[in-house]
Amino acid sequence: MRIAVCAPQVPFVHGGAEIFTDKLVDELRARGHETELVTIPFKWYPGTKVLSQAFLWRLADLEESNGTPIDMVIATKFPSYCVRHPNKRVWVLHQFRQAYELDRTDLGQFSEEPADRALRRSVQRLDRVALGEAKRLFATSQNVAGRIERSTGLRPEVMPHPPQELPYRCEEYGDFVLSVNRLDRAKRIDLLIEAAALDPGLRVVISGEGPDRERLEGIARERGLNGRVEFAGRTGEEELASLYARCLAVYYAPVDEDFGMVPFEAFLSHKPVLTTHDAGGPLEIVSDRETGLVTAPEAPALAEAAGWLREHRAEAEAFGTAGHEVAARVTWDSCIERLLA
Amino acid sequence: MNVAYYSPMPPERSGIADYSALLLPALRRHLEVSVVRRGRTRPARGTDLSLYHVGNNPDAHGWIVDALRRRPGVVVLHDFVLHHLVAGLTIGRRDGHGYLDAMEREGGVVARLLAHGVLDKRIPPLWESRPQEFHLAGEVLGLATGLIVHSHHVEERARAAGFEGPIWRVPHPAWPVPAFAPEPVDGDPLIGSFGNLNSSKRIPQLLEAFARLRRDRPGARLLLVGATSPGFDLDRRLQRLGLPSDGIVREDYVDERRLWALMAACDVCVNLRAPTMGETSGSVVRQLSLGKPVIVSDLGWFSELPAAAALKIPVGEGEVDALHAALELIARDGGVREAMSLAALELARREHDLDHVAELYASALEQAAGGEAVLGSVLGDVTTAAAEVGIPAGSPEASELARRLHEIELGR
Repeated sequence: MRIAVCAPQVPFVHGGAEIFTDKLVDELRARGHETELVTIPFKWYPGTKVLSQAFLWRLADLEESNGTPIDMVIATKFPSYCVRHPNKRVWVLHQFRQAYELDRTDLGQFSEEPADRALRRSVQRLDRVALGEAKRLFATSQNVAGRIERSTGLRPEVMPHPPQELPYRCEEYGDFVLSVNRLDRAKRIDLLIEAAALDPGLRVVISGEGPDRERLEGIARERGLNGRVEFAGRTGEEELASLYARCLAVYYAPVDEDFGMVPFEAFLSHKPVLTTHDAGGPLEIVSDRETGLVTAPEAPALAEAAGWLREHRAEAEAFGTAGHEVAARVTWDSCIERLLA
Repeated sequence: MNVAYYSPMPPERSGIADYSALLLPALRRHLEVSVVRRGRTRPARGTDLSLYHVGNNPDAHGWIVDALRRRPGVVVLHDFVLHHLVAGLTIGRRDGHGYLDAMEREGGVVARLLAHGVLDKRIPPLWESRPQEFHLAGEVLGLATGLIVHSHHVEERARAAGFEGPIWRVPHPAWPVPAFAPEPVDGDPLIGSFGNLNSSKRIPQLLEAFARLRRDRPGARLLLVGATSPGFDLDRRLQRLGLPSDGIVREDYVDERRLWALMAACDVCVNLRAPTMGETSGSVVRQLSLGKPVIVSDLGWFSELPAAAALKIPVGEGEVDALHAALELIARDGGVREAMSLAALELARREHDLDHVAELYASALEQAAGGEAVLGSVLGDVTTAAAEVGIPAGSPEASELARRLHEIELGR
């Protein structure tokens, strides 16, 4: 089958979504499908750019290429699912979150002006039309599926995707809590740094880059954490796998996250996950005192939880092992079979 | 964003006043809302948009139409047929010519002549005898910048009447079910009917079907809750059908609490109606929230209820037979009652949930207030980009762009 995988591209940004689409293309090719990744740059500001840029996808003709039909398109993230195709499948990683749960928060984009409120609604209408055209509609988590159902009335099938391939292993339950994430405010890495400030026994390693790095480094400096918070920057595959292998636990607590591959990666390394009640998608696999610890989104609660894991390494290991069983069930074979069915 | 809100409000006794009392707190979680004092028709200052609740009762809604005339805005069309309202706004204000003009605008010279007949008292008032033939919604539709409706039925009728603006279909909100015990009313089964007793509620047909049911099921009882309309002789009808008094439980107007308790006692609720003015039924929404199987007429909004939750009775020929069969089915089959009950609860949760309805209202109002600016900006972007690469307006390529924009609701 000839398949076009569609994903937007934000130039110079590479994160979990990009890793996912690259991997999806590889996995489809490995199963004998002629597959191409189709991207269009996406800029969502200022004003109505979010719509006019989304409209570019509507103009793309992917029914055939160079005289040969394209049998299927698989779109992933807003606004790539605006593409037209008689056999459109959508596996939603993200809607445009500023138009949904991030609205009227610090991370929102739309003001209270009537034109901005209407713009947000136009994005929602666009979703309703574009997702409604899909022959099959999947969401990477119950959180994403629920949001789509509430906003469009459509009912996606929930299908989590496997994390990136790394040489996952467990070497020890060491003395640091690992954060793996893009450094931006929505990921709330500052909470972990504040927890370290409250607990002198807590060491933190932060893997990832992003626009919030300077602010986060400033917090660590101001709190005088004396090297207990280490910014590792963007880590390579082996280095990341090694961090997973050696850490005590993995911290992952964005605000109402859609899905997030990090908990799966932690579980494949037999590590428990430390998250918060309001983290959204991760809570579908991180259960308190089963596969990790779930606390209030406050530094003292996180500090206490990290301290408890340090004092109860056998439990940390048991949680990580239980998580491994969860993660091992999500495979590319099962995902692709459903996607193409 | 601030919305000027025009509606009857409690303590005014009107279904739309109750509706607004229910909706407003939920809507205020999304928008600033300024409720306009009854009778004030001057445009409210400092608001971005006006929202007008329009129903067919001239006492409750006349001033709202006056305000709409001064500042067009979004209209919630609770009834499509507004003949009674227009009669009140014209004849009721000694403006017979206004009524003649309204009738002629809708139905031409023939309608004008009929209106003359009404003014001369040669024929009965059309808003009582044949309102569905002359809806007289034209003026309100002409002033509305957008419509909020509760049903596809009203949406289609508004389009058929030539309304070209945006229409948002928003379900009727459901009241939270109060905590109470059902009234101890016996009946096997107990069949409920709530609302005024008159011919348009098909009470004669209900009585006839019930009389048939009771021949085979002497334990069946019919609970009739509501005022008897003038000229509707209930006792004589019961006598003629040979219905003994112990088969009928009669309640006049009841307060909200007792209404819920009586509904909760029923095995099935019957809500027939013909003709329809395009209205929804707050009673039916309450019954669905209670998980009651409902029997409705197969027309208007009632037709749009899912078959899993509502048995639908055709109006006219075969109506009594179909109603009798539906009552017999409900009486006989506990499985059907249970399945309908679950479907009713699911429908109330999915469609009529108050927060969901408030969200749809907010969405409609936000689009009404700022949507034009958004479309203008997007179309400006696309037109500029097209012109820069040599696609002139009116060319086939420009038409293609327009078509694609329409597909994703970004066209004009």
